[in-house]
Amino acid sequence: MHKKNLFTTIIMVLIVAVIMAGCGKSNDGASSGNDKAASKEEKNSGEVNLYTSRHYDVDDQIFADFTKETGIKVNVIKGKEDELIERLSREGKATKGDLFFTSDAGRLHWAKEKDLLQSVESETLNKNIPENLADKDKQWYGLTKRARVIVYSKDKVDPSELSTYEALTEDKWKGKVLIRSSENIYNQSLVSSFISLNGKEEAKNWAEGIVKNMARDPQGGDRDQAKGIVAGEGDVAIMNSYYFGQMLNSEDPEEVKVAKQLSVFFPNQETTGTHINISGIGVTKYAKNKENAIKLMEYLSSADVQKVFAEANYEYPVNKEVEPSELLKSWGEFKEQDLNLSELGENNADAVKILNEVSWK
Amino acid sequence: MLYLIRKMRSQFNSWALLSFIFSILIILPALLIMVQLFAESNENWEHIKEFMLKNYIINSVTLVIFTGLFTVIIGVCAAWLVTAYTFPLQRFFKWGMILPLAIPPYIGAYTYHGILNYTGVIQTNLRNHFDIKVDQKFFDIMNIPGAIFIFTLFLYPYVFIITRSFLENQSSSLIENARILGKSSFQTFIQVVLPISRTAIVGGVSLVILEVFNDYGVVKYFGIQTFSTAIFQAWFGMGDIQSAIKLAGTLMVIVVFILIAEKLIRGRKRYSYSTSKVRPLQPKELKGWKKYSVLSLFLTWFAFAFLIPSIQLLQWVYMTYDVILNEVFLDLIWNSVFVASIGSALIVITALIIANFSRLSKGWFSQFFSKITVLGYSLPGAVIAIGVLTLFLALDQKVIVLYEWIGLEPTLVLSLSISMLIFAYVVRFLAVGYNSIESGFEKVGTAFTDASRTLGMSVTKTFFKVDIKMIKGAVAGGFILVFVDILKELPLTLILQPFNFYTLATKTFQYASDERIHEASVSSIVIIFISALSIFFLHKVLEKEPK
Repeated sequence: MHKKNLFTTIIMVLIVAVIMAGCGKSNDGASSGNDKAASKEEKNSGEVNLYTSRHYDVDDQIFADFTKETGIKVNVIKGKEDELIERLSREGKATKGDLFFTSDAGRLHWAKEKDLLQSVESETLNKNIPENLADKDKQWYGLTKRARVIVYSKDKVDPSELSTYEALTEDKWKGKVLIRSSENIYNQSLVSSFISLNGKEEAKNWAEGIVKNMARDPQGGDRDQAKGIVAGEGDVAIMNSYYFGQMLNSEDPEEVKVAKQLSVFFPNQETTGTHINISGIGVTKYAKNKENAIKLMEYLSSADVQKVFAEANYEYPVNKEVEPSELLKSWGEFKEQDLNLSELGENNADAVKILNEVSWK
Repeated sequence: MLYLIRKMRSQFNSWALLSFIFSILIILPALLIMVQLFAESNENWEHIKEFMLKNYIINSVTLVIFTGLFTVIIGVCAAWLVTAYTFPLQRFFKWGMILPLAIPPYIGAYTYHGILNYTGVIQTNLRNHFDIKVDQKFFDIMNIPGAIFIFTLFLYPYVFIITRSFLENQSSSLIENARILGKSSFQTFIQVVLPISRTAIVGGVSLVILEVFNDYGVVKYFGIQTFSTAIFQAWFGMGDIQSAIKLAGTLMVIVVFILIAEKLIRGRKRYSYSTSKVRPLQPKELKGWKKYSVLSLFLTWFAFAFLIPSIQLLQWVYMTYDVILNEVFLDLIWNSVFVASIGSALIVITALIIANFSRLSKGWFSQFFSKITVLGYSLPGAVIAIGVLTLFLALDQKVIVLYEWIGLEPTLVLSLSISMLIFAYVVRFLAVGYNSIESGFEKVGTAFTDASRTLGMSVTKTFFKVDIKMIKGAVAGGFILVFVDILKELPLTLILQPFNFYTLATKTFQYASDERIHEASVSSIVIIFISALSIFFLHKVLEKEPK
């Protein structure tokens, strides 16, 4: 009997403690709940919640301008794309996120596959954004465009020697190709595009060929590949166009010097076209502020904003009415891969497997 | 029967209760993840096993072994030299050698890469002023030896701190006896210092090992595939949570193995004060060439581990501060300091309760709690983050029902509040605070507590009147170590941050991941500055502690 009493006491105390701990927590929550209540009042004038993996300062500037123009407040969580997707999917119906914004079509497709996005019909978006740069079901839209180009040493390489991505696997380039690790999403999407265009087997042969011709084990980011050329480690590098633009305009004079010794080549002009990718955005399935979300998307695709948006990061605008910056124009026009970018995502898992199988570090 | 009840009573008091609740809270997120460990393996797992697993193991183990070895050599030698000898600047190095802890390894990694690469300061100067072009091989740091170099530079303080404070307080009689018996310095070091301080060394190096296993920033930046990059690759790259958890589980098994080994090596040896007066070791004066060679060794090391990276960062700050510094930046500092303070305070309180309970009642029950605290430290930040998120979302679901019942619209309260982030910090870093407090308790033993109890004070009264006063230093030390850790923390913060909430670490990451290293320097240097300041306080606190 005595023992039983003790147990009851313990259990009672436990329950009380748990409840108290819970209260402590929800008090904590309540204080931020008050913030929420405050922002709910604002909601009448409007707000929109954005999950983004882009972290350019220009984005913040544009969001601020949007708020000024429309009165709609933009709340932001910045993170890594994959983890934001995981977070969205765990939050499910209850999510506060209205928009998902990231710099790779493959990831956007993945968010769609996980049933995290919803279709959006908007004449403005249809008009501003070319069809192949948006999802087939309109679940996401591209906003800025970048090309994965070949950068070469002006001294050591005659551009006439360059032709295609595939040509870089020839013996001639043994020990001369610089490219970053396979963990990088841009390389995964590149291989995905080859799977779409040429089939799995060819894509694997290509990856194998590149690994064979690598000047060194993959390391560093895209900028490091460019530096590798000038440092004499290799002759050509595969990198995203905007990194090259950033280097030409770097605040570090040494980086500018490096970039000036290099030049951009758009591969596969005679064949399948140069690989492009986008930064894109989609409305989440359980968005609470759908209208505001679409407003922000339309704003971002409008001609005025596209100009600033793309130029600040040396990207290509998706809006055809807007011309790319002078720098990008100086690199010339180029033929793009004829591919709906959704396919980059559809093939991503296969691409990752291929890259692992050929031991691309 | 009566005996049993009495036993239960002595085990189950309010201390037990609180320990129990805290432990459950801490173990829950991990459990939510771990249930998936036993799920059937799928196609991806086979793929990982076939093509990648061997590589991960080799790379991770190589990093751990060499970093462990080097941190021990440097940490122990430095600790011995600053406690047993006097030489110029010796008083400064006593805490100065801890300063590299202020530099998160990922910041160290990109700073050193920035110094050494083609457009870095060394090569640029050689090229522009001396017209020397060097072979890139000699300046390539982005490989396994490079990572070991970085880890050693910025993690050895863990070994140094623990070994130094042990040598200072515990070893005087043994070492002085060895000296009297005519042993040379070297003999004393090998035959006396190393064996008696092995507990401290092992304690320090196991922290280093866990840090290396958990590191994501350095290995990702250097392109080295390890367990932690693999977990991310499987989870986020392949979208395969099961395989990721199998990897995390494999890692946990290794970690648990290491922790058991640590216990075994520590053995049953316990050194606690046998008298109320602990005599600190009297340092000997170094003379002549010895003095200068020791000094130059310390200076060189300090330059590599602290001065050079800081100066480089300052130069980058000079290049970019006008763009980066604005009011928003002040918010970053405030956010970082705010979450770090709250998190550290909670950890210290939790650690005090569990540690006090587990030292006073020796049953398996209490020992079990003390082991649980380490769990969070052995899991990668991202894994904990997802576990905590799952837990809070589940709680929110409950709250939503309540909300709907009251008539409010369904929404997330807990999992979008900062309490989720802080809770995750507690799970992740409890071990750091706990270790410090536990070692404080170990040092004072239970003699004084027992005396107080005999005199009729309750456990709780004794705790406030006797115990806590004796381990003030350890409490402060634990607080500051955790504070610095939270300030530097990245993966967990990235996943769990509320809307419009950034810290210095996440800001640094945003620039660094965009290959804008120069812009990342401002937030990096502030992290380093605040951490360094905290370390200085730690030193002051420990200095004041009655010896």
